[in-house]
This record gives sequence, C-alpha cells and structure tokens, in this order.
Amino acid sequence: MMRKVKLPNIQKWNKYFTAGLIMTSVALFLAILGLFWTPYSTTAMSAAERFQAPSLMHPFGTDNFGRDIFSRVMKGMGTTIFISTLVVVCSGGAGILIGALTGYFGGIIDEVVMRITDAVNGFPSILLALVVISLMGSGRQNLIISLAIVFTPSFVRIVRSEFIRLRDADYIMRARLMGVGRVRILFVHILPNIFSTFWVSVMIGFNNAILAESGMSYLGIGVLPPDASLGKMLSDAQGYLMTAPWYALAPGLAIVWLVLGFSLLSEGMRRNP
Amino acid sequence: MKYLFKKLITLIMTLFLVSVAAFVAFQIIPGDVVTSILGTEATPEREEQLREELGLNDPPVKRYFNWVGDVIRGDLGVSYRYSKNMNEMMPVAELIGDKLPVTLWLAAIAVILIVVTAIPLGVFWAKSKSHALDACMGVLTQAAMAVPSFFLGIIVTYLFGIVFKLFSPGGYVSYRDNFPGFLGYLFFPALSVAIPKIAMTARFLRNSMLTEMKADYVRTAYSKGCSDRRVMYGHVLRNAMMPVITFLGMIIAEIVAGSIVVEQVFGLPGIGRLLISSISTRDFPVVEILILYITFVVIFVYFLVDILYRVIDPRISNR
Amino acid sequence: MIKIENLSVAFDGTEVVKNVNLEIADGEILGVVGESGSGKSVTALTLMGLVSQEAVLTSGRVLYDDVVLAQAGIPRDKALYRTYQGSRMSMVFQEPMTSLNPTGRVGRQVEEMLRLHTTALTPEQRKARVLETFLSVGLKDAERVYDSYPHQLSGGMRQRVMIAMAIILHPGLVVADEPTTALDVSVQNQIIELLRQINKEQRNAMLFITHDLNLARRLCHRVAVMKDGRVVESGTVEEIFESPKEAYTKRLIEAVPSRAGKATKVRQENISIQGGKAQALGEQAVSENILEVKDLNVFYREGGNSLFSGKKKKLVVSEASFTMKRGETLGLVGESGCGKTSLSKAILGINRDIEGSVTHYSSYPQMIFQDPYSSLNPSKTIGWLLQEPLRALEHLDKSRKMTDKDREAAAFDMLHRVGLEDKYFDRRPSQLSGGQRQRISIGQALITRPGFVIADEPVSALDVTIQAQIMELMRSLQEEMKLSFLFISHDINVVYQMSDRIMVMREGRIVELGDTEEIFTNPKEAYTRQLLQES
Repeated sequence: MMRKVKLPNIQKWNKYFTAGLIMTSVALFLAILGLFWTPYSTTAMSAAERFQAPSLMHPFGTDNFGRDIFSRVMKGMGTTIFISTLVVVCSGGAGILIGALTGYFGGIIDEVVMRITDAVNGFPSILLALVVISLMGSGRQNLIISLAIVFTPSFVRIVRSEFIRLRDADYIMRARLMGVGRVRILFVHILPNIFSTFWVSVMIGFNNAILAESGMSYLGIGVLPPDASLGKMLSDAQGYLMTAPWYALAPGLAIVWLVLGFSLLSEGMRRNP
Repeated sequence: MKYLFKKLITLIMTLFLVSVAAFVAFQIIPGDVVTSILGTEATPEREEQLREELGLNDPPVKRYFNWVGDVIRGDLGVSYRYSKNMNEMMPVAELIGDKLPVTLWLAAIAVILIVVTAIPLGVFWAKSKSHALDACMGVLTQAAMAVPSFFLGIIVTYLFGIVFKLFSPGGYVSYRDNFPGFLGYLFFPALSVAIPKIAMTARFLRNSMLTEMKADYVRTAYSKGCSDRRVMYGHVLRNAMMPVITFLGMIIAEIVAGSIVVEQVFGLPGIGRLLISSISTRDFPVVEILILYITFVVIFVYFLVDILYRVIDPRISNR
Repeated sequence: MIKIENLSVAFDGTEVVKNVNLEIADGEILGVVGESGSGKSVTALTLMGLVSQEAVLTSGRVLYDDVVLAQAGIPRDKALYRTYQGSRMSMVFQEPMTSLNPTGRVGRQVEEMLRLHTTALTPEQRKARVLETFLSVGLKDAERVYDSYPHQLSGGMRQRVMIAMAIILHPGLVVADEPTTALDVSVQNQIIELLRQINKEQRNAMLFITHDLNLARRLCHRVAVMKDGRVVESGTVEEIFESPKEAYTKRLIEAVPSRAGKATKVRQENISIQGGKAQALGEQAVSENILEVKDLNVFYREGGNSLFSGKKKKLVVSEASFTMKRGETLGLVGESGCGKTSLSKAILGINRDIEGSVTHYSSYPQMIFQDPYSSLNPSKTIGWLLQEPLRALEHLDKSRKMTDKDREAAAFDMLHRVGLEDKYFDRRPSQLSGGQRQRISIGQALITRPGFVIADEPVSALDVTIQAQIMELMRSLQEEMKLSFLFISHDINVVYQMSDRIMVMREGRIVELGDTEEIFTNPKEAYTRQLLQES
C-alpha cells in the first residue's frame, strides 16, 4: 500500500501566461536588483547632466536634477511592488478571517459587517485612503495601513459570499453530521474550495493597489521623500512635459508594464484547464 | 413597495452612520481647533469667545444634532482657511457650490462617452467570430485598464494639447466665461477618465453576452428558426444588459464622486482638488461636508440602480 | 419521412455518435432510449441543426422527406435549416425553466413562432391562435398564462407552453428530448398523454428521447436503444420489450426497478439473533429499536439568517410518529415537497426547529445524499474523504482513536468494500463517474459503523444500470454491517426493491405505514393507490 505523493501539474503554458510571466519577471528582477544596485546613483544631482534625452548611457534619459531616470524607475518599482504586496497580504488575510466567520455563522455581526462593506463598496479606493491618511498623516507605513483598511471590505465581500454559498453544500452538511469541528470545517473543508475565486480577486487587488499607491503618490499624499515612487516622479515630470517628455513617459510606462504584465499573467492562469 | 421602503431605511441608516463617523473624525478627534484658526498669538479670551461662537463647549451629542440640523437647513459650516473677505470666513456651501458644476459636467461628459462607446464595442466584440480579433481586443482592453488615469491624462495632455494643439494644457475655461469653451476643455479630462472605464464596460458586456449566448433559451430561439441577428438583438442583448446596468451604476458613482486625480492633472477647479487641498490644510469643515457629499452620491446612485434593476427584471418585479 | 443514415458526429476528434441509422415514418413515434453518454441528445440536435458549432459530422447524412438537410463534409446550411426549423420541425427540451426566455412574457415567445413563419396574420389573429393552442395543450387559464413570465408558472405548465410552441405550426416532426425528466410523476403522465393526443390529432412524426424505459414503452410505436454512440437494437415496442435480442437491451430492461419479485431478505434471522446477543452482552440494554419518532412537528423558517427576515414559520412535517427496528430498511415515498427531506434533516438534528421527540439507539447516524456531484468535497482526495469521518469520530469520542496507519488501512478496506480499486485512493472526485462517487459517498457514511443511515434519493441521479449496482451494494453492505436504512425515494418501484416496510408521506403527514408486500397488494389509502397506479 505504498502511496505516491503527487506533484502538482505544471500548467499548460499559453501565450497570455508566457507574456505575463516575462513581463512580471522583468519587473520583479529590476525591482529586486534596485534594492542593492542601480546603474547610477539615484540621489546624486548634477546640473550638467540635466534633461538629457534617452541614449545608450541613459536609456530613459535624465531628469531635472541630472539623475538617471532608469535607476530611479528601478527604485520606484521596488517601492510600489513592496507596498502593494504588503497591502494585499494584510487585507487578503483580514478578508479571509472576517469573511469566513461572518459568512459561515451569520447573525448580527454579519449584518453589521455587510452594511459596512456595502457602504464602502462604491467608493474609489483613493478617496477612502485619502480620508484615512488625512487623519493619520502621510508616509510609507500609514499608506500601507490605510490602503489595507480600504481594500479589506472587498475581500471580505468575496470571501463571505463564497462561504455563504458553500455553507449549505451537501458535503459540508455531511461534515457537520460527521461531527467535524467548526474551525476545521471553515479552514480545512471550505477554504480550499474558494481558492480559485479568491486568487482572482487577489490578483485584481494587487493591480488596484499599484494604481492606488501611484495615484496617491502622484497627488503628494503617498510615500514621502527620500522614498522613490513612480507616481511622484510623474507629478514632477508633468511640469517639464514640453521640454522633456521622456521624463514622464518612463515612470508611466513602468506602471503600465507592471499592471499589464500581472493582468496577463492572471488571465493566463485563469485560462488553464 | 415593501422592498423600496426597506432600502430607503437602509439608505438613511448608512447615511446616519457615516455622518456620525465623519462628525467624530473631523469634529471630535482633531481636538481643539481654535488655536489653529486664530494662530498662536491669540489671547485666551479671544479663544474662549470663539469657542462659544462655534459651540465647541457643548457636549458631543448636542453638537452632533446641532450640526445635522444646520446641514439640513443648508448651513454647511464655515471654512477654517478660506476667507470671503476681511471679516468673514467663506461658507462651505459657497465654496462647494462654485466647484460642483465642474465636477458634475466632467462626470456627465465622461458617462456619455462611456455609454456611447462601450456598448457598441462590447456587442461588436461579442459577435466577432475571429480568434485573432478576440485576442487583440482582449489585450487592448487590458492595456487600457492598466494605464493609471493620471498617466493617461498626461498622455492626453501631451498628444492633444502639445502635439496636436487641440487645447491648451492648464488653460481652464470657466463655465461662467464661456460655456462652450468650458465644455470643450472638459472633453479631454473626460476622455482620460472614460478610456479605462470604456475598456472595463466593454469587457463586462462582452462576457455577459457570451454567457447569455450559451443559455438554453438561445437554443430554443434557434429551434424556432430565428436568425443570428434576431437572436442577438431580440433575445440575448436585453438579458445581457441587465448586469451591465448595475456595473455602469458602479462606474457612474465613482465618476460623480469626483475624479480627483484627473482634476489635478488638468488643473480643474473641481471638488476633487478642493478635497485634497482641504485635507492638506486640515480644513475640517470642508473635508467633512465633502465626505458626506461623496458618500451620499455613491449610496444614492447605488440605490437608484438597484431600484431600476428591480423594475426592469421581470423575475423580480413580478413575483 | 425522416431518415438518419450512417450518422457519425465527433467533438474534438472523439466520436460521440457512431454510424447511427434511424428512420421515422409519417405519424410514427420513435423512442430513443439510452443512458447518459449514449449520444441520443447529440443525434437529435444534429437532426434539428442545433448541435453546437464544434461538432463535426464525420459521416452520414440527415434527410427530411428525401431532402438532404445535413451531410458529412459539407458545412451546415443555416439558411436551409431556417426554412425547416419551427415550421416543419420543432423541439421540446428537458428544462422548461431555462429553455424559455426568463425576461419575456410566455405568450409573446410562443407568438414569435407565428411572426417568424406566417405573414398573413394580424396581431389579434396571432394572439387568438396562441390562446387556442394553449387551450389545446391543457392550459385552461389561457389568457393569464399568455401574460405570465416563466417563473410564475409551474413546471408542468411551462412544459405545456413549450409543447404549444412546438406544435402551433403543425410541424411534420416534433423532437422531445427528455421532456418529463424534470417533472413530478403525476405531471409526467399527463405530459405523455398530451404528446400521444397531439400525435393522434396532428399526425406528426415524433422523436421521443428518454432514459426511462417505462415511458418509452407507454408512448412509442417503435424504440431504438443506444449505447456509447451506437444503436444497439431497434424494433417495435413489443419486439424490444418482450423479446429483446441484444445483451445490453436485456440488461437495461432488467435493471429497471419493478415489482416483479424481490430478493428475499436473509436478515430476518439476524434480528432475533441480535436480541439473543443483546442478552449475552448485558452491558447496555440493546434496544430492538434503532429509532423512535413521536409526534414530530418540523418547522421551516423562511428568509434565512438576516435580521430582517420575517419570523414566519412554516409547518412542513406534522405529527410524524414511527419506530424502526435494528437491521431493517424502512422506505419513505412521496412526491417532491411532501416533507421527506425535512423529516430526515429533523431526525438527524440538522434542523432543530422541531417539536416532539426523536430517540436514537445508535451512535452518530449518517446520511447518504442524492447528488453525487455535490456530496463529495471537490478539493480533497478519495483517501482523505474516507478517512475524515474517522478523524472526526476520534475528536468526539477519544476511545475511538486510531493510528494513522490503521486509519489508512480502514479507508483502503472500505474502498474495496464499495467495489473500487486501490488506484482511486489518490484521485479526486472530479475524476470519478457519478456511480463511483456514490459508492464513495456510501463508504464515507458507513466507515464509522453508524448503525442507522438515512439514504435520501441515493440512486435517483444515476443511470438505470448503475442504479441497480448501487442498490445491490447497499443491500450487501447492510447485511455485512447490520445496518438500518431509512430509504427515501420518489420512485416507488425502487423503494419496493429495497425496503421491508414502507411509509408514504403526503403534504407533511405520514399517510400510510406498513409491510412492503401489504402496501403493494392491499393499499389502504387512496393516495397510496394513486401513487401505485401512476408508476
């Protein structure tokens, strides 16, 4: 009675998946690399080098302080990815916990939670995060906290509706009949079955976090200097649009690259049998 | 009718909760505001006088109801920062009233753009039999959704403003001076707001249509001898549009609530910019009212969409 | 009139219809009988020109009055089909709820048939014609039905509407794909009668597809039996049923639960032996009864959990009283909505909204569910699923603790007992067939030696030949493990096969209770007699 441990199936690769994977890997690679090394310093300013157009030396050109834009984009991507990941992990985790408990058990707490998530549902995330920031102050840490708070309700919604759906499934009723404990039912019996739906919303959430973070940094209420941010770079670049359009193009394209890559990746994963 | 009533109660309840939350957040928590209004040189008597004027010495619950009463009567409070003239601070109502038309007209143009473009696009995409076109549309819409609105705004500014010189960036035309010019200027920020939403709506509609096309009643329609065209427009589209209406409702709520970022990019004096500036200057009366406004708009739009959906869908309206 | 010659249809390279030859003469009703996967629906859809675009005709052709409608190698001629669909050939589908447009009034949907194919009628004339047709299919309140939406009508009424839609233009061919499967038994019979009547009046040819042999026998003139895409045998109804030639046909006929003779139960002895054993054990007074239910009222609260739900309580079972003996099978019959499932949920403690008493003399009773596709957790392996009841039991009763190895061994043992090989241990439910899943379901329920098991429609969702196997499995396990079953079904013949005693329920009440043979030969209640007659 030897049992072989089954390895997970390598998914069928399709074009979306490959394209997405490449794009995301490039972005991740540059971001991680940027933590230790960038081609040029991102802080040293040089009047002489100002506003150089893209060239072999500076693939994205230089900015108004003579800094290499490519290096700054690397650092910016790192910040954005870091913040977005943390936001998604925190809000996703909270979403699972709250959604599972309220969805399965119902009751008054469920009513309250439902009202809150409904009320919060329509608000653009930036707006809500703005409010939280206005009370807490800016900075990287507060940004993460505020975005995590803002994103949690949508995760709760999704997890909760899945738990409600599965709560009355035959096999869960059977688990109750067998006498399986409630915690085990929630997290061992039900949770693995919502995984694919949940994962989709995680991916969407990640993209939204990236857009939210860069949006807020653009507005000036996101990360503070010396933290680099793609959004902040864009707002700086806007003033020089006539003279140095590449300054704005680079961070913007970086954001698009990141979000698109991730979207394609998740689309590719979704299409797998 | 019972449902309508229930929903109305929920609406009021939510509004109540939010108003309490806003009140606590912006009138209780910040603490003593007189110092920030008068500055550090004010005398204690002057401070006390102001406290009395503003009613800050009353217990919180009384303050809350006073405030709600004021708001309902139209007195939205007075800004801490903006002054109307030498003697008075600017009433919030005036402040907002000035800027609201900008945001609302921006929203209107954007919504029109979305509805007019996304629906035909979605239907066209759903009908297409070519895999290549499908994939192309898919990637294009993904890309459109991946572009942050401020970047899109910058691109629009660059392309249409600087390269094609269709408008002059930063050259906002007030609705008081020249209404057509006002609308013309608003077209470009509206475009920046609309493009990602057009992509989302087209995708959503297409998916909805594809799902409907797999339904059993479509097979029945074909068995009656209906042509492709008749099936699509007579049966599928109507059923597919229903969830799209809810979806559009979400989008409209978002846009009307204030396209903060786009207003910033184009320098539009709308609600969004006001919100940001009042947050940075900690002008709480303004922030508070704006939050209330936005909440109300969002909830109200959702409420309308919900009612509309129930009226249109016979499964629910005719029990 | 209809000729299907040597038809083969493939999806993605796999043939699901293989060299099928069928003929339907004018005015004849041909039944096509087969289990799931036999290709009967695909054949019908190909005939109608409705099969999905991915289907490829790899051989053969379809003729209507000697006109070729479809042929292998030639792409589907949609324009040609449109001149036939609706006016000369129409179809009635299995699920009337989803086959009608849910957002359109039913009258208009039927009227569309007229709008598409006739030009001479005014709107008033069209409506009149629709109302007339409604009356002829037995929809008495024709005006009201005309203005209704599908969800406002009952299942039987919806199907009549679909039939009205199919016959309003007096087509030469009507195809009915399992038209009664989704309906109650009494309504089923009415619909069958309606179809027969239409055939007599309009003289249309009919293709009647079903998995239910009895229905085919009642309605059709000729029958073709299909299996795995091929026609196994065909002939007149008498030929097929009285002298079937092929082995599969014979098996199919035999597998249908009927009242002809019953496997004698050896278990009668066990009960008395049990009594004797009880004295010998002496530890606890082991009751003869395994379950006692007295004056049970079960309530159903509408609206679910939310704060706003009305406290409306509906009484779904009233004054139920009965006892069950150890080792017996008590059958529970009734139509849908009579309260059988509510009763079982109350007995097991799933629904606590009850009055009265339920006393168990077994430990941890279990339940077997109807739908094999939703009763197994899709994210777990079979091995895990079989072991979980044991793990749960350990938590509840520390004395039953097992080592991991023992538990695994017990799971393998049960896997074999339900008739499956080792290799299934690591598979997931999605990789198993319906019949196999039901076996696992049974295994899960029995692995903890529960003593009392409620089986709620355990075979209703299965093909006839599989049904017979599962019923046999349940019987043998019952003997081995000395179980007591409460066997619920809407099919009285199935209940007959499995039960010692039978309980009949109607609208929440137990209407009759007695020995199986008694009930079948001498039913006391009118309702019982009605049920027996209809099957």
